[in-house]
Amino acid sequence: MMEFDSTHLWMHFWAIATAATVSAGCALVGSFLVVRRLSLLGDAISHAVLPGIVLAVLAGGRPGGAGVFLGAVVAALVTVWLTNLLGTHAGLAEDAGAGVAFTTLFAIGVVLVSALASRVDIDPGCVLYGILELVPFDTVPILGLEVPRALLAAATVLVVLVVAAALCWKELVFTAFDPAAARAAGLPVGLVSAGLLVATSLATVASFEAVGAILVVAMLAVPAAAAELLVRRFHRMLLVAVALGVAGSIVGYLAAWHFNTNAAGMIAVVLGIEYLLAALWAPGDGIVARVVSRESLRWRVACEDRLASLWRAEEGDAAALAPRTLLDRLAQARLVFGGRIVPGRAGGLTDIGREEARVIVRSHRLWEAWLGRHVALPLDHLHPPAEWIEHHLGAEVRGRIAADLEGDEGDPHGRDIPPEEFPRRPAEPPAR
Amino acid sequence: MSTTSAGLEFHDVTVAYGRRPVLWNVDLTVPGACLFGIIGPNGAGKSTLLKAALGLVPLAGGEVRILGAPLEQVRGRVGYVPQRESVDWDFPVTVTDVVLMGTYARLGWLRRPGPRERSLAAECLDRVGLADVADRQIGRLSGGQQQRVFLARALAQQADVYFLDEPMAGVDARSQERIFRVLSDLRAEGRLVVIVHHDLRSVAEWFDAVALIDMRLVATGPVAEVLTPENLRRTYAGRLDVLDEIGRAVAEGGRTP
Repeated sequence: MMEFDSTHLWMHFWAIATAATVSAGCALVGSFLVVRRLSLLGDAISHAVLPGIVLAVLAGGRPGGAGVFLGAVVAALVTVWLTNLLGTHAGLAEDAGAGVAFTTLFAIGVVLVSALASRVDIDPGCVLYGILELVPFDTVPILGLEVPRALLAAATVLVVLVVAAALCWKELVFTAFDPAAARAAGLPVGLVSAGLLVATSLATVASFEAVGAILVVAMLAVPAAAAELLVRRFHRMLLVAVALGVAGSIVGYLAAWHFNTNAAGMIAVVLGIEYLLAALWAPGDGIVARVVSRESLRWRVACEDRLASLWRAEEGDAAALAPRTLLDRLAQARLVFGGRIVPGRAGGLTDIGREEARVIVRSHRLWEAWLGRHVALPLDHLHPPAEWIEHHLGAEVRGRIAADLEGDEGDPHGRDIPPEEFPRRPAEPPAR
Repeated sequence: MSTTSAGLEFHDVTVAYGRRPVLWNVDLTVPGACLFGIIGPNGAGKSTLLKAALGLVPLAGGEVRILGAPLEQVRGRVGYVPQRESVDWDFPVTVTDVVLMGTYARLGWLRRPGPRERSLAAECLDRVGLADVADRQIGRLSGGQQQRVFLARALAQQADVYFLDEPMAGVDARSQERIFRVLSDLRAEGRLVVIVHHDLRSVAEWFDAVALIDMRLVATGPVAEVLTPENLRRTYAGRLDVLDEIGRAVAEGGRTP
């Protein structure tokens, strides 16, 4: 670990600021790419800029300078244009077109870098992985402050992106959601889509020095994909994506500092962890929410089945089934604790338990009767569906079913359907 | 609402994908203010005809006029309801967000929907019977509800001519009834409603006039005159092999056998 002197702290501050700015811009653009299912376009563009950078350097541009920046943007646009060309004229599917265009351009870049190694001062490793740690050493003075060139580029691009998104918000969202209807309504869909591609190129190129060609894809796609899991409206998704991107950059950089490893790589790892957490904890559709919902249903079903079984025993048809599985036993304990079942070996229903059990058995038999009347099912096929549906019927639908069955007494097996409500009896002390 | 005598005219319209014609020489005039059905088998080119009218596919030949003018001059008076499957319903927007999109073109650049647009959207949602799901994410709706959201968006465009592509596909009976009622109201207000439709049973009940299409126009006119066994046989009896073969030859730049 490095020492905590003030020069070092400034270095780290600039590196973190650069990573966060780059990440914010990528998350902004990435949100549009993710909802349009174009995440891999960022991948294509980020690889394809390599030959542009090499040629710009060869033409005399300084690595990190404006000329190289421009070369990269031009190369990115060429990729997009080539992809479209391959799609519309060579009849290649869009993803295949992108696959062909960006790998070819990237390969040209690799060949150029190796062939011209003596004349061009470019480190291929730097292009692929970026060197965030070196960003603070290449500065320009602004108002007496030595600001990293990469941060300046990233901040400029971020401002341009935010302004463009704010100005064209309606058009961007409508085009992303329903391009055909947007076109029919007269919106300039082609222009808006092209603008998004230019924005992607800008964000990618601005991120290049800091995080490199491969990890910029993580910044484009991952925070936006995580945000899509967490919120249901696009403007919130955008804000959440930016927040996740910035947070991931800060945490990732600090973690890399602590473990003394590559910062860009660590940031991408942290972004991946953010996505994992979002997938786990997303409200409603998250893995945890689904497991909780499934297990709580299982638990409710076990408790209700237990009550219904005791009711049937009281009715005298069958002996109450002893709880067998662990879940049954837990349900039994819960029902005793909750005052539904009388404690002890013989344990019958309490008054409250009897009320609840009656409703379940009523639901069960109503459903059997309804199936018997409306669905062609043999008599011995009625019980299993009723075992399932009894847990999902509410009072209102029970009432409607009962009204529908008016005149039919009892279920198809000839047993009474218990009434919805018993006339109130004076409370009896629970039998012990 | 002012509508000229002819709401929609196709003059010798041919549409090709690549070089291959898929819709041949359609010459069709639809009067104003009616429910007009475009009927035909799968792959007949019904949706293509609609998209040709909306400028979404290029014409290989011919001309389309809407309300007596070329499309560019009347775009603001045209509403479109695409096929429901054409969009991603997991897109993170609410029902109201989608309906507001109908006001975007009218608003123009740089202006946001304000209270006026919001109340218009609420009114349109009420018309299609979706007021109670206004804030719901669109992915949580049933197919029929999704289709009604699209209809509400088109209503928010306040157009004079509406184009609907298979609005009843995968839609429950209740939604279907509701949609047809809204469309009948539009007609009563003097608007033209053109619907690509596949269910022959509901045609006589709701439509005023139809065009039977199978790669070319088979017949058009009032429902009672057009839906004859002879016309239906000509529409549904099978492909016209000769059009298929010529189309392939045109696409390949060759000659038919």
